[in-house]
Amino acid sequence: MASKGGVRGGNKAAREFVSEAEEILETMRARLADLSDCLGAGAEADPDLVNALFRAAHSLKALAGLFRFDPISSLAHKLEDVLDGLRLGRVALAPPLCAWLDETIALFGSLLGQVGDAAALAGSAARIEELTAGVAAITAPSAAPDEFASLALDPNVLRALTEYEEHRLRESLRRGRHIAVVDAPFEIKTFEEGLAELSSALRESGEVLSTLPSPGDSLESQIRFSLLVATDLPPAELAARIEFPGAAARTVRAGRAVPAAVAAPAATPAQVPAEAEGDAPAPIPELESLKSISDTVRVDIRKLDDLMNLVGELVIQRGAIGDLIARLGGRSETAKIGREFAKVHKVLDRKLRELQSAVLEVRMVPLRQVFEKVSRVVRRLRRELGKLVDLEIRGADTELDKLIVEALVDPLMHVVRNALDHAIEPAEERRALLKEESGRISIDAFQRGSHVVIEVRDDGRGIDRAALRRRAEQVGLVEPDAVLSDKETLDLIFAPGISTREQVTETSGRGVGMDIVRSNLAALGGVVDVESTPGRGTAIAITLPITLAIIQSLIVGVRDRRFAIPLNSVLETLVVDAGAIQVSEGRSLLNLRGTPLLLRRIDEEFGLTASARAVRPCVIVVGVGEQRLGLIVDRLEGQQDTVIKPIQGPVQNLRGISGATDLGDQDPVLVLDLSALVEDALRRREAA
Amino acid sequence: MPRILIVEDSPTMRSLLTSSLEELEGPVKIVEVASGFEALRHLPREPFDLIVTDINMPDINGLELVSFVKNNAAYRDIPLVIVSTERSERDRDKGIGLGADAYLVKPFEPEALRDIARRLLDDAE
Amino acid sequence: MSGAAPTHPESWEELARAASSHRSSPATAEALRQLLCMGVDGAPYAVPVENVREIVRVRPITPIPRAASAVRGVISLRGEILQVIDLRLRLRLAAVAPARSNRIVVVQVEDGRVAGVLVDEVREVLRVPESAIGAPVAADAGIVAALCANGGQFVSIVDPERLLEVGGRA
Repeated sequence: MASKGGVRGGNKAAREFVSEAEEILETMRARLADLSDCLGAGAEADPDLVNALFRAAHSLKALAGLFRFDPISSLAHKLEDVLDGLRLGRVALAPPLCAWLDETIALFGSLLGQVGDAAALAGSAARIEELTAGVAAITAPSAAPDEFASLALDPNVLRALTEYEEHRLRESLRRGRHIAVVDAPFEIKTFEEGLAELSSALRESGEVLSTLPSPGDSLESQIRFSLLVATDLPPAELAARIEFPGAAARTVRAGRAVPAAVAAPAATPAQVPAEAEGDAPAPIPELESLKSISDTVRVDIRKLDDLMNLVGELVIQRGAIGDLIARLGGRSETAKIGREFAKVHKVLDRKLRELQSAVLEVRMVPLRQVFEKVSRVVRRLRRELGKLVDLEIRGADTELDKLIVEALVDPLMHVVRNALDHAIEPAEERRALLKEESGRISIDAFQRGSHVVIEVRDDGRGIDRAALRRRAEQVGLVEPDAVLSDKETLDLIFAPGISTREQVTETSGRGVGMDIVRSNLAALGGVVDVESTPGRGTAIAITLPITLAIIQSLIVGVRDRRFAIPLNSVLETLVVDAGAIQVSEGRSLLNLRGTPLLLRRIDEEFGLTASARAVRPCVIVVGVGEQRLGLIVDRLEGQQDTVIKPIQGPVQNLRGISGATDLGDQDPVLVLDLSALVEDALRRREAA
Repeated sequence: MPRILIVEDSPTMRSLLTSSLEELEGPVKIVEVASGFEALRHLPREPFDLIVTDINMPDINGLELVSFVKNNAAYRDIPLVIVSTERSERDRDKGIGLGADAYLVKPFEPEALRDIARRLLDDAE
Repeated sequence: MSGAAPTHPESWEELARAASSHRSSPATAEALRQLLCMGVDGAPYAVPVENVREIVRVRPITPIPRAASAVRGVISLRGEILQVIDLRLRLRLAAVAPARSNRIVVVQVEDGRVAGVLVDEVREVLRVPESAIGAPVAADAGIVAALCANGGQFVSIVDPERLLEVGGRA
């Protein structure tokens, strides 16, 4: 096994690549050893061994391509080529070639150890080149060349022959027939008729061995066919028989002089008894699949959820132990044992954190798959819409919890489709605006603290504020005389029932749906922000927590209730005198270092009236995207690791509540949905 | 919604492939054709996300279809699965050599096909 | 297990055992339906056992603000957070003080929706032939789908699907 040293600390994709590649190399080493034994015994190369080696090299190449490790990729490519040649009999198996294969596989082993270490990889470049260049000299054409290798035939035709067709070709050669390729272009819509005509003309004087389609001059409306023909007609006569526009015949192998008696039309189907010469070794049925065996394991995400739940429960128990220790420490007769207990608890705590992060790490997947999906859709849409758009993607290695990644697909797709469909102008319009003809959409993903930001930018027409405003007034979202800031106006795109383009398209439905995007993301604890410059483009930033599994929460008391607030959104907490809270136009405000902070009382929000308010309430300042809000609560009850669970049951839209968490003591605690609270607060302000 | 093209001359096999793929999570659109020629005519009509093809078919064989798809810049990126019988191992290898992305041996487990389809639909570049 | 009154089976397993010992005459070829019988305000109500996931003692319930009044709040069941529907309130009966015999029956319907249902008591598992089940006399709060004769009494069979549709906010 090659050293894994270079990979430590590398990303997971790299580790998976290395583990799978090592598996493949192991297989290759074993097969190569067997092959060398064959050679040593003077036997011919066992085709199954060569095939197995080829398949392994193919997997390796595919894998390397997937992970974009260029030096490995190019070497794997070369290796595959050489083995393909060996497999098809184009290259003879000789000791120097065995040595080359040996060295190449060894080099792979050491390259794998260098993955993630750019300097070391660069250092190996010379060796790779040396091996790549050296192979030409030793891959001399096979001493006993494959019977087809001498045919002046497009390798594509040869490679697409089935075993049966190869057999027919072999037969035809044996019988000394002329072999020719007839090439003709067709319109894709009508090719069948013409091709049938051509084929039947050719069949009159021989056998059509294969019919290979290839791209025509226009990739999507034309098609070419290359017909491999075995015939008893001399080349000149064959050419004369083809009266097909654009068709050309080329002789691949001239046959022997044909006895007149045999020059009868129509091919006689294979009546020839199988002779030793024509017998290919019977393929041994084998169920081995191309899927390479590796030490990566696929796990049902639900199993990980179960594991996470267990960890969550352990975390809760740890909290309970902490409380017990505090009680032991508080009494003089148990203080000593309390201190010892506390030490043990500390170790437990550390291990538990490690366990927690290990389980979390397993759930993390890179955004790459989502981005690739998006890029496929973009390619398809630009074809369907006939728009010129370049898509740039950066940060595809950024990792997020698998569940979040899955839930991100639809909202992200929606945003990108909107950009493509509505924002990017048609090419003519862009030319008229002196913009680059081709539009540009970029997607950037990056981590910011415990969040991941995904930014979708386009260089299209930007959001038309006036139209947006008009539409909002039409649907009654905004009073005609209301004064809105630019930000508030832009945020209207997230309001239900808004569409700036009335046009209905198949691509993105109506221009609406940003409200759905926002609420879908809010369900994941995410927020969406928008920026837009008219004529220049729009940027939509999606901010998501890295994981939903375990988060730190602030537990607060409001009257006789408790609530949890995700700590990653808490900016600060203040204890204030009730008198410091001012009221202006029915809104509560706090002077926060000279800036007015909008406040909301959680008890009013949820209609809680039991027991009294605290004399000195706490203000929790939360930030959601660009917005700030102060939540008024009565008590701070501490910080806790919390596993936030969805609330199951008949009541679905619990506005302001995003889930609940079990702290292991009494009743579950509801978790506040900050984005909804902030949104409602702002909306109420607009309405005021 | 992913679009899948199934190329298979045997009606039984075809319906088996279709019903296996219909079980994929989320909606898929499946287009069934019975020959390589039909496949060639269908390709330009709509953008496919996956092609599943048999090898032994009447007009052009599956390998020729693979060769066409993988040599045509317009379709090269569409992942392609070869479905072949256990005996035609060599054809299968040729298919992989021509650029097929995966293969499946008949008789196959529907879940194995879905597994491949999921992987290719996800990985498709 | 603490010594609960024998009229209140402690676990679902016990109920199931009780049910199997109750077998009616083997000559009956007719299909039997198994119903979990629950007492609410002295009257018998039942749900099909296939919709019952488990039966638990009452535990602290966290009220949810602004939810429909029949939803008492949420409980945590091994980390799973479930809403609890008070069957009394759902049947528009007056609330009473909690009692030791109260149970939460965890009801699950086919599409996977699940909720706790708070009842005064859990009585027994009934095995009744289809023929003993008839249409309800009236739409009793809309959730009783059928009536079933049992001894001298009629048991109201609750439709779990409808039970789990409480509507949005109050």
